[in-house]
Amino acid sequence: MSQTITKRTDAPKPGVGPLHFANRLGSLKSLIPLLPFFAFIAYFLVFPLTFIFRDAFLSNDGKFTFENFAQCFQGVYGHSFYVSIRLSIISAAIGAVAGALIASAIVKTGTRSRRAVAATASVLANTGGVPLAFMFLAGFGTEGLVTKALKALGWNIYGGSFTLFSASGIILVYSFFQIPLMVLIYSPALENVKPEWREASDSLGGNRLTYFLRITVPLLFPAFLSTALLLFANSFSAYATARAMTSGTLPLMPLLIGNLVDGNVIANQEHLGHAMAVCMVGVSIIVMSIYLLVLKFSKVKR
Amino acid sequence: MSKKLKVVSAAAGIVLATTALAVLPATAAVNASTASSAASFGGLDNLIKAAKKEGALNLIATPRDWANYGDAMDIMTKAFGIKINSDNPDGSSAQEIAAIRTTKNMDKMPDVVDIGLSHVAEGAGLFANYRVQTWNSIPKAWKSPVGNWYGGYTGSIALCYDSSVTPAPTSIAGLDNPAYKGMFAIQGDPTAAQQALISVFAVAVAKGGSVKNIQPGIDFFHKLKASGIFVPVTANATAFASGSFKIDLTWDYNVTGFIAQAKTIGKTVKCTYPKDALVAGTPYVLAINKTAPHPAAARLWEELMFSMKNGKLAADLTAADLALPGSQLFSLVMGGQNVYISGGASPITVASMTDKVSPPTALIVPTGLPQSVLPSLAQQTVATNILKTAWPKI
Amino acid sequence: MKQKLNISNYIVLLAATAFFVFPLIAAFEFSLRSNQGKSHDWSNYQWILHEPGFRTNLGVSMRLALLTAVAVLVLMVPTIVYLHLGGARWKRLVEFVCLVPLVVPVISFALGVGTAFPTFLQSTVYELSFLYVIISLPYTYRALDVGLSSIPLLTLVEASRASGATMRQTLVFVVIPTIRSAVNGAVFLAVALSLGEFTLAVLLHWDTFPTWIANVSQGHILNAIALSVLSLVGAWVVVMIFALAPKSLRSSKSQEATS
Repeated sequence: MSQTITKRTDAPKPGVGPLHFANRLGSLKSLIPLLPFFAFIAYFLVFPLTFIFRDAFLSNDGKFTFENFAQCFQGVYGHSFYVSIRLSIISAAIGAVAGALIASAIVKTGTRSRRAVAATASVLANTGGVPLAFMFLAGFGTEGLVTKALKALGWNIYGGSFTLFSASGIILVYSFFQIPLMVLIYSPALENVKPEWREASDSLGGNRLTYFLRITVPLLFPAFLSTALLLFANSFSAYATARAMTSGTLPLMPLLIGNLVDGNVIANQEHLGHAMAVCMVGVSIIVMSIYLLVLKFSKVKR
Repeated sequence: MSKKLKVVSAAAGIVLATTALAVLPATAAVNASTASSAASFGGLDNLIKAAKKEGALNLIATPRDWANYGDAMDIMTKAFGIKINSDNPDGSSAQEIAAIRTTKNMDKMPDVVDIGLSHVAEGAGLFANYRVQTWNSIPKAWKSPVGNWYGGYTGSIALCYDSSVTPAPTSIAGLDNPAYKGMFAIQGDPTAAQQALISVFAVAVAKGGSVKNIQPGIDFFHKLKASGIFVPVTANATAFASGSFKIDLTWDYNVTGFIAQAKTIGKTVKCTYPKDALVAGTPYVLAINKTAPHPAAARLWEELMFSMKNGKLAADLTAADLALPGSQLFSLVMGGQNVYISGGASPITVASMTDKVSPPTALIVPTGLPQSVLPSLAQQTVATNILKTAWPKI
Repeated sequence: MKQKLNISNYIVLLAATAFFVFPLIAAFEFSLRSNQGKSHDWSNYQWILHEPGFRTNLGVSMRLALLTAVAVLVLMVPTIVYLHLGGARWKRLVEFVCLVPLVVPVISFALGVGTAFPTFLQSTVYELSFLYVIISLPYTYRALDVGLSSIPLLTLVEASRASGATMRQTLVFVVIPTIRSAVNGAVFLAVALSLGEFTLAVLLHWDTFPTWIANVSQGHILNAIALSVLSLVGAWVVVMIFALAPKSLRSSKSQEATS
């Protein structure tokens, strides 16, 4: 998709509207069309978050302190960074790959079925919490429908040490909403991979592998990676399902924050909870920066 | 003026003044928000009148089948015409306090709260001073000296199991049995759920520890998890329905509700006190929001919850009963302290109660129960700090 | 364009269907149980329909979903089109901003909202719609971004304007129809999210369909399960109606870029 922007040498037609190409305007002027968006964000997102951000730096008596952040990196709180990030990366990887496979199959079907799949995927992508835990346990739990059916066929999936109430189990359950999310968002990118390109590649002597490596991958990599990033963030912040299914034996960041600001046992430690929330945003900044670097690097490679 | 006239007019003045003073309390507007006892209203009748006028009560994090709050809510509605707005029944103590802080000046502000003892210090500035009529029967240890919070009820940890489980578990130590693989769970994360925390204490006591030493409990959980007996699922009704656990530790006052729920899906649940540990939790605390939108109804609710009377439930009230004046009707209904007993909880005034209802029969009480122990708030805090690091490692 | 699926496609689709459908079937079977598990019938669903508050709360959630969907379209489509046309230098900032709602824990966000917003805003249930727009941003942004990245936007716009169309005409008759599937995805996500969102509604003390479900099914486990199945299926029906609506009900100039 290497289109060059031809610089217009004539004056813009009257009545063309405010969407000029930015390379003709000063950088601040190019911000103007985005003002409604930023105003909305400023009030409904940033404004509430300033209170969280401010409270993260306060002690219980209202004095400014870094102590909350110091505590974030110690003990179980520090460990939770590793647990959460690791789980999210694996969940994102599985969701991205499985989702891409399914999407590439769906994309070959007709328009109506693609829309139906998109609708279904959007609903599945929003499942979570106790209903999801129940559905999964009712299906794949120790007394689940599928488990019993498989047992009848001779395969006891719980014969070994596998359990749904562990990090691996959680990753499996998360896939229930991660994969549909991937399918939903990644499909439009796939839809624009034209089959004619495949014919062109074949006629030039390429086989399936070269087609895949030389054409599909570079084309779709940015979309694939950006959706995987979304999956990472999705898993990183997921709360209710893990809470119902691990009873605190898996120290994930959102769960620890919940214990601090939303529990029945720990009191007077909300500031630490807010500091952890700020840390979560910090992690996402770092992950996003890595993602942007990878994108940049992949473009240079081409 | 002549001396005689002076005396007569002075006397008339005094008579008028005293009459006016006698009439004044009944007609002057009582600020319900600052009323510190029923006497401030001029008696229970006036409190009930004021509450009826408000007509509604905002509760939060109060499930119907928790210590049988449902019956108390029904009495409030049927006898005194007060509509119950129950917000977020599964909420936590932290959410209750946050609700008071974030819903200032709004109609949906909670009127009363029922929170864990650990959260009282955090919310103390938000509560109103109000002494219920049975104030003196509340043990000193569980009430604030100025009256802005008071413990309502407490409970002990019980062991529940699906009746299809064999052998039927009778003790905590006995859970270490391969027959129980994949069956045992507790009510969530001990650093987040009070029930789970006290369950850990119960396990510690059963395995030779104490309220001061929970390490044996942690070690036992580690053993049970390694052998697959302990399942880290939150032991709620949904998890039970999916078969994720068959044995759990829970408050004795939640037993009736659990057994009833299990029945609806065709399962029979039996509950008993474990033979090797009888651990009670610190009382849950009731308090009134200083800026409650329905201050009189809030105070009536507290009076009801701390009433020790044995009386009628909502369903048994006749039309004649409802026609009675406020305080007479109040004496006729079952007081909250007895409602708690019927739910399986131990009311705070139990030592002073003379007319108690029978506790629910569903809970099996084995002979030879050990001494009841109660971890103090300080001991709970110590345990929580240990569990923060130790629990994810079990 | 309809293509032929090969054998690996079929295997993948089969596995996917099994993975997603079995839990739903299991939950559905559960919700049909009645009479203490001895028989199966629709009684758990019938109970729901007769519960007072069903229509009111469902109505609230549907209005919230509608408002959220409209707000998402109005706010996001022009923004992202602009970002792809000329505002590219701001793309990274917007991308990051749109990811923040996902990584901030909902509990913390709700606490911030409760502290920050003035009383008049917190007194209307429609505050939730604006907040739903915010928390759907990560998904709606990504859906629209991927969609717009995969079309030759610049070429289309140049061609359209060179043919004499105004920018507005270009947007409405050329750009939007081309990114139809991405716009659909974004709207479906926003609607599904609004219909099922629970935590924020609870923490801000509102009665929506999901919170009403949780309240009313306290102590009735079968009804609770039936209700969660119902709300899932209900949300699915709503988005499916939109997805499968005949073309005449949608834009008459709608063109599929790849068909």
